[in-house]
Amino acid sequence: MAGSSSSSAPPSQSPASGASKFLANLPNRGLLSSSTVYSTNPGGMRVYICEHDTSPPEDQLIKTNQTNILIRSLVLKKRKVDSNLKDGKAVSVAESSRKRAPERTLEGRTSSKRGVSNTHSQPEGSRSRAPEKDLQSLTVERLRAILREKGLSAKGKKDELIARLRAANG
Amino acid sequence: MSTYNYVVTAHKPTNVTHSCVGNFTSPQELNLIIAKCTRIEIHLLTAQGLQPMLDVPIYGRIATLELFRPHGETQDLLFIATERYKFCVLQWDPEAGEVITRAMGDVSDRIGRPTDNGQIGIIDPDCRLIGLHLYDGLFKVIPFDNKGQLKEAFNIRLEELQVLDIKFLYGCPKPTIVVLYQDNKDARHVKTYEVALKDKDFIEGPWSQNNLDNGADLLIPVPPPLCGVLIIGEETIVYCSASAFKAIPIRPAITRSYGRVDADGSRYLLGDHNGLLHLLVITHEKEKVTGLKIELLGETSIASTISYLDNAFVYVGSSYGDSQLIKLNLQPDAKGSYVEALERYVNLGPIVDFCVVDLERQGQGQVVTCSGAFKDGSLRIVRNGIGINEQASVELQGIKGMWSLRSATDDPFDTFLVVSFISETRILAMNIEDELEETEIEGFSSQVQTLFCHDAVYDQLVQVTSSSVRLVSSTSRELRNEWKAPPGYSVNVATANSTQVLLAAGGGHLVYLEIGDGILNEVKHAQLEYDVSCLDINPIGGNSSYSSLAAVGMWTDISVRIFSLPDLNLVTKEHLGGEIIPRSVLLCTFEGISYLLCALGDGHLLNFLLNLTTGQLTDRKKVSLGTQPITLRTFSSKSTTHVFAASDRPTVIYSSNKKLLYSNVNLKEVSHMCPFNSAAFPDSLAIAKEGELTIGTIDDIQKLHIRSIPLGEHARRICHQEQSRTFALCSVKYNQSSAEDTEMHIIRLLDDQTFEFISSYSLDQFEYGCSILSCSFSDDNNVYYCVGTAYVMPEENEPSKGRILVFLVEDGKLQLVAEKETKGAVYSLNAFNGKLLAAINQKIQLYKWMLRDDGTRELQSECGHHGHILALYVQTRGDFIVVGDLMKSISLLIYKHEEGAIEERARDYNANWMTAVEILDDDIYLGAENNFNLFTVRKNSEGATDEERSRLEVVGEYHLGEFVNRFRHGSLVMRMPDSDVGQIPTCIFGTVNGVIGVVASLPQDQYSFLDKLQSNLRKVIKGVGGLSHEQWRSYSSEKKTADAKNFLDGDLIESFLDLSRSKMEEVSKAMTVPVEELMKRVEELTRLH
Repeated sequence: MAGSSSSSAPPSQSPASGASKFLANLPNRGLLSSSTVYSTNPGGMRVYICEHDTSPPEDQLIKTNQTNILIRSLVLKKRKVDSNLKDGKAVSVAESSRKRAPERTLEGRTSSKRGVSNTHSQPEGSRSRAPEKDLQSLTVERLRAILREKGLSAKGKKDELIARLRAANG
Repeated sequence: MSTYNYVVTAHKPTNVTHSCVGNFTSPQELNLIIAKCTRIEIHLLTAQGLQPMLDVPIYGRIATLELFRPHGETQDLLFIATERYKFCVLQWDPEAGEVITRAMGDVSDRIGRPTDNGQIGIIDPDCRLIGLHLYDGLFKVIPFDNKGQLKEAFNIRLEELQVLDIKFLYGCPKPTIVVLYQDNKDARHVKTYEVALKDKDFIEGPWSQNNLDNGADLLIPVPPPLCGVLIIGEETIVYCSASAFKAIPIRPAITRSYGRVDADGSRYLLGDHNGLLHLLVITHEKEKVTGLKIELLGETSIASTISYLDNAFVYVGSSYGDSQLIKLNLQPDAKGSYVEALERYVNLGPIVDFCVVDLERQGQGQVVTCSGAFKDGSLRIVRNGIGINEQASVELQGIKGMWSLRSATDDPFDTFLVVSFISETRILAMNIEDELEETEIEGFSSQVQTLFCHDAVYDQLVQVTSSSVRLVSSTSRELRNEWKAPPGYSVNVATANSTQVLLAAGGGHLVYLEIGDGILNEVKHAQLEYDVSCLDINPIGGNSSYSSLAAVGMWTDISVRIFSLPDLNLVTKEHLGGEIIPRSVLLCTFEGISYLLCALGDGHLLNFLLNLTTGQLTDRKKVSLGTQPITLRTFSSKSTTHVFAASDRPTVIYSSNKKLLYSNVNLKEVSHMCPFNSAAFPDSLAIAKEGELTIGTIDDIQKLHIRSIPLGEHARRICHQEQSRTFALCSVKYNQSSAEDTEMHIIRLLDDQTFEFISSYSLDQFEYGCSILSCSFSDDNNVYYCVGTAYVMPEENEPSKGRILVFLVEDGKLQLVAEKETKGAVYSLNAFNGKLLAAINQKIQLYKWMLRDDGTRELQSECGHHGHILALYVQTRGDFIVVGDLMKSISLLIYKHEEGAIEERARDYNANWMTAVEILDDDIYLGAENNFNLFTVRKNSEGATDEERSRLEVVGEYHLGEFVNRFRHGSLVMRMPDSDVGQIPTCIFGTVNGVIGVVASLPQDQYSFLDKLQSNLRKVIKGVGGLSHEQWRSYSSEKKTADAKNFLDGDLIESFLDLSRSKMEEVSKAMTVPVEELMKRVEELTRLH
């Protein structure tokens, strides 16, 4: 290594070797130029006593935005989707009722990249119309709970439960 | 009762944590700004050097310090964030010379886990935002508007939880951070994020780099034109940017700090954990990075911060040793080092342990600290002493005497400095350029040694040599009259004032002359039975130019005599006793009381009260000032007369409250001193020491004086043994020469005068010295050193084995006389009723010292007490034992003699993680915990129920802002038993930042008075940056925050003395106490430290 060679080699033989060549032209603004740098007495420093008012200008008392970052990220995502939509290819499809389909496809695309974080926003628009795939993913216990909520029978195999639920949802 | 406590700093923090360079005080001035935990120091870089400007106290522990310049500003602003989540932006107002608050705020969040790796505060190089990483998973942004004003802050979620470092990248169109983090598989990566200010969110940045060096810990952003970032690891250094990746291997080292040399970012100084300084160079062709180079430059203190100043000068701030000002030389020295240390700035931190001793037996305590760490470990002897600020010095060997002379009797300043050598006399004078140069006084005899010189009336000067007394005109410098010693006699000692000369020649001849205008009259001659060793006729009566008494010290009968003048009648004769002759006598007056001081050849000083009319000597007192002969001289400083005792331990003798006090001078050895009050060096002293003549001013009295004893190893425990006049240390020696860093634990024995190692005892492999004690046992007259150890095995969480070693000091050697194996680490040892009390892991164990049949001795376990997590700190008083637990605060145990058992009496049920405990009095115990708080608890003996009695009630709470490692009873100042302050019990503490502080227990009425003064001062003295004093001193832990109670901040109260008169009057009005009375009471308090 370069460091070891500089310390082992006698300096007289290789004056330009080692760190010397890198230590040339150190920045100099003309300060500390005197040959004798005088002592700074560490105890002799004047202690600052602040007698004037030190409160900052009124608008410069900084506080933190209290919006929860989770909520903010959801709002943000929503807005992003909205703006994507506006700029995107679905130009003239402006009715809110038909918005969901392209939205979901868009989300599907991003979620393959960013996985977990997007599942938070999923339930918002589509809870009531849980597709079959979602029902399949629920546990039997959960399905039974939903059925009981709707006042339906909670008996039977999982497929039966799903079928009953779908029938009820219409 | 010690319920009411006053906490004051005797030695300010010296641990340098941050430093930066910029134009803070003016657009043209370059400043070095240094953070010392709770203070910042502002220095100015001038052509002559580093000039100290201001020491600014901050009401908080500084977590980050940055200089930055928003658009449109001509000078830099200072950003400070404190550990308790406050931040402020400071600006210097050059006209008023004040620090102005530009902005401040609270950046704490209600929820959030504080980061493990320290708080990070960074400022975008283009000043678009301030970034803070304070809690895991959160990045706080304080945006700037386009006028440089700060706007509302917001948090951004940061996916990386184990963040090691964050920096802003240079030259990015959008503010971009680079994050160095560790994933859950302990691999380290960097990632970049752009901060979208509008959306308040991160956007994936331009690049990232996975799987870096496992020790990567530090990021250095590289400014334009190169841009990118350097990632400093333990074995490699990597340059990384969107377009380039360069790496070089380095010798394994942990880089602690860096300093950028060039504005273009091509060279950096890196400081590692062993104190080695490297130069890192980015080689580049135009704007394309071609590679990295690293060169070893040399060794410095272990750097915590490095700031390149200018012209190859570099400031190295250290937490583990003295901070330094170094110069980088183009050519290496003989040892191959390019580093030249020009200046050292004392740092006591970290104070791991200390003891209070009175080595000179003067009644003045001094603190000996185990300071520094690793290779920079040292002992520091801290005592109240007086500093000499050197202003000029010349090399001059063999000075035998010095006197200053004026060029006219009414001249306020001294002109000449007469320096006497063995066979010549030289005269120095100030020339027009205020330089000291050699001159001549024609009338003086310069071929012989001068015995004495003085100004005389009628613009004359007197010179006494061994053969004559010469009277010389100070204007024409010509000889006006001469008194010649009779042939065959030579003058041995002489003294004079402006109208009188007294001299003694061999054979006991004493001659008294008076000075007239151009004439010397021999008035009286006396024949004494013995030779005279010293003389003085310092005028202390009503007449300032004539003394009616002469003090004479004698050989042979070892006495000091008072003669009346002019008739030379013996008034008083006082035998000194012993065989040491008096070497210097001095008549002097302090606070209207006349004294005769008499210094002996062995460094002792006697003082007597002198009755000026009768010449009687009373109230004899003796103190030891050193070991060498002393020369006494008076001098004045701030229009008060003091006495300087020149010897191997130069001392200033002064008086306070009509008591003589002795204060060390921070010079090693002074042979002669004379006041030299010249126009160029007003109020200065000329000091002859070790082949050098120095001119300097003297500091205020009562300043701490620090002596360093570098050890080259880390002392962790210290204790003093009066009987053997030794110190014993538990110390660690780090060995870096071999491939692996190894450490060796050693018990060292040091002489308490020379501080040299006189004996050592190496502990076993893996064995650590944990505690040390000097004690004696019942039925044994010897005094032993007891050492508690622990075997720290790599595979164990807590040590399960340790030893107690008992040493006897014989012929300056440590002799192991007994050892006892323990079932854990011996964290603390205390002498307890002639037995030994040890804290071993979770247990308190009492050992008896038993005589075995074969005459040897052994430690035998008597009883113990379980029930602690780790009993780390133990103090005892009578039969009571106070234990500071790792995490269960303070508990009180009692030893029951009849049953031979230790029982718990009471405990504090708070979950405080303790760092030190001390017993203030029978009922009040003081504790320090790891959130930098102090608290006191009280034993509740009068409680009605068992429940109440078993609870230690918290009576005092205070945020000290310092990590206390040790409390010890004692005082740094000479205690004056008859003053109020002398009655106040005090306790000294030492902290990681190198603070030495005093906790003084005040009487209630004084406490209430000062409490009122403190609250009034809060209204007058404002916290810099708008930080509140009340909040700063409020007790604060993860669980709670509570106002300080029963503790007072002495630093705030004592700053009353530094207030302007108008503000003092404001306080005085609010207090309805006159200013003078307030000043007197506060001044009294300053004598506590």
